[in-house]
Amino acid sequence: MENHLLEVRGVDVSYGDVQALWDVSIHVDEGTIVALVGANGSGKTTLLKTISGVIHAEGGEIFFSGKSIAKLKAQEVVDMGISHVPEGRGLFSDLTVLENLKLGAYLPRARPLFAESLERAYSLFPVLQARKGQKAGSLSGGEQQMLAIARAMMAQPNLLMLDEPSLGLSPIFVRTLFELISALNRQKVTLLLVEQNVHQALKIAHQAYVLKIGRIVMAGRGDELLADTEVQKAYIGERWRKR
Amino acid sequence: MLEYLSFSLIIQLLVNGILFGTMYGIAAIGLSLIFGTMRIIFLAQGTMIIFLAYVCYWIFKLLGIDPYLSLVFVIPLSLLLGAGLYHTLFREAAGLEDKNISLLIAVGLMFLVENLMMVIWTANPRSITTSYTILSFRPMGINVSFTRLMGLFMAVISTACVLLFLKKTLIGMAVRAASENIISATLVGISPHRVNAVAFAIGIGLAGIAGVGLATIYPFDPYFGFIFALKAMISLAIGGIGSVFGALFGGILLGLLESLASFFFSGGWSDALSYAAFLIVLMFKPEGLFVRSIQKV
Repeated sequence: MENHLLEVRGVDVSYGDVQALWDVSIHVDEGTIVALVGANGSGKTTLLKTISGVIHAEGGEIFFSGKSIAKLKAQEVVDMGISHVPEGRGLFSDLTVLENLKLGAYLPRARPLFAESLERAYSLFPVLQARKGQKAGSLSGGEQQMLAIARAMMAQPNLLMLDEPSLGLSPIFVRTLFELISALNRQKVTLLLVEQNVHQALKIAHQAYVLKIGRIVMAGRGDELLADTEVQKAYIGERWRKR
Repeated sequence: MLEYLSFSLIIQLLVNGILFGTMYGIAAIGLSLIFGTMRIIFLAQGTMIIFLAYVCYWIFKLLGIDPYLSLVFVIPLSLLLGAGLYHTLFREAAGLEDKNISLLIAVGLMFLVENLMMVIWTANPRSITTSYTILSFRPMGINVSFTRLMGLFMAVISTACVLLFLKKTLIGMAVRAASENIISATLVGISPHRVNAVAFAIGIGLAGIAGVGLATIYPFDPYFGFIFALKAMISLAIGGIGSVFGALFGGILLGLLESLASFFFSGGWSDALSYAAFLIVLMFKPEGLFVRSIQKV
């Protein structure tokens, strides 16, 4: 067996009677950016939730750093080193920016590193320092996304999973966001990215998977998929092909 | 009756209302915290208050320890009791999607404790009589009894402590975070059992304080608990779920309403009016009077 940081093997997930994922296998190698793309309802969010333990698979296995995590609860998975920024960001909007960051380092193993982590968060996102006393709910969409990523990073994760981070952001901020994701990756952060912005996501991804109604239908390097006419037709659209 | 009405009498009624309302208020804060993380109205709250009032009564009768001094035992005991109740009774049910199960457990607990108290202490009202029970101050002709003033004092101190705890400690922040979004809370590593147990500990801790306050002011019997829980629920509805200050002010407003209604109408009307206030608030401002804004669908 190769040493993947994360390995999802043959996972089946259902919501009641409706099966959302069918025999899904992916892997994420240390230090890479992996993108999951696909249409709405294809199961991308479900896959992230299954990995982070918010929901549990009926079949299959999930290994992280060689350990099985499929049965763990969400609070145990984050302790293993996987931070999940959920769709819609999942901020505590009644709490201040600083309180959100403090809770990011809630885990006993992350607490002693709080001062360092906070410094790193503020240097990555200076605006958060300026807004630290403000309620998270009062931030702009872009600032909220920065806070969500910064909070996830406070737990010192080995793997950061972002679910639709560009959703609802202005085009200018989307570019900043992708630059930021690349910058995080250069700092040795491994990322698993779910994106509706397929073109941008594939451009920065080392490896990518295409999900279609609950199954992996294509896998390959980001640039390979970007060049694939099928992918272009289905997910990227006319305006990107000309570039 | 109105010929007796004077300025000082009105003030007296208001003072009485505020002093008793704070007891409703701290019971309501407990309900609010437990509701925050568990998403149930903990209907046994009033019965736990009466139970802890009996504990205070026993410590006084059997050991001869002053009721206020007994807080040194009652507070830690009730904090432990709260966490223990969660871990034994609610732990399994709390994870279920259907919150009605937890609500049923609370109802079952209420009846069990009520009946246990009946067996142990009988239905005869009990009260604690000390040297200061009849002590009162008369600033400007208004009668303020020492025990009620102590009740107010304990309520203010405990509200301040709860607020500080929620605001300043990491686990307090975790309770607030879990009240807002439990899924996100687990994603940063917060265990739902941990925050639920803490909410229960504080809720029952406040019940301990309210129990001592009540035992020193009023005669009480096992059945008073359910009424008290209803009054706490009304306070919570008036004040708005999720706000500690709101719950306290809701209690004070309810106390004022009852005090005025029982003077101008009768004791029976005072209860009827407080339930009517409950419905009216829920009809016209369901988020509560002291909650600034809420997203409306």
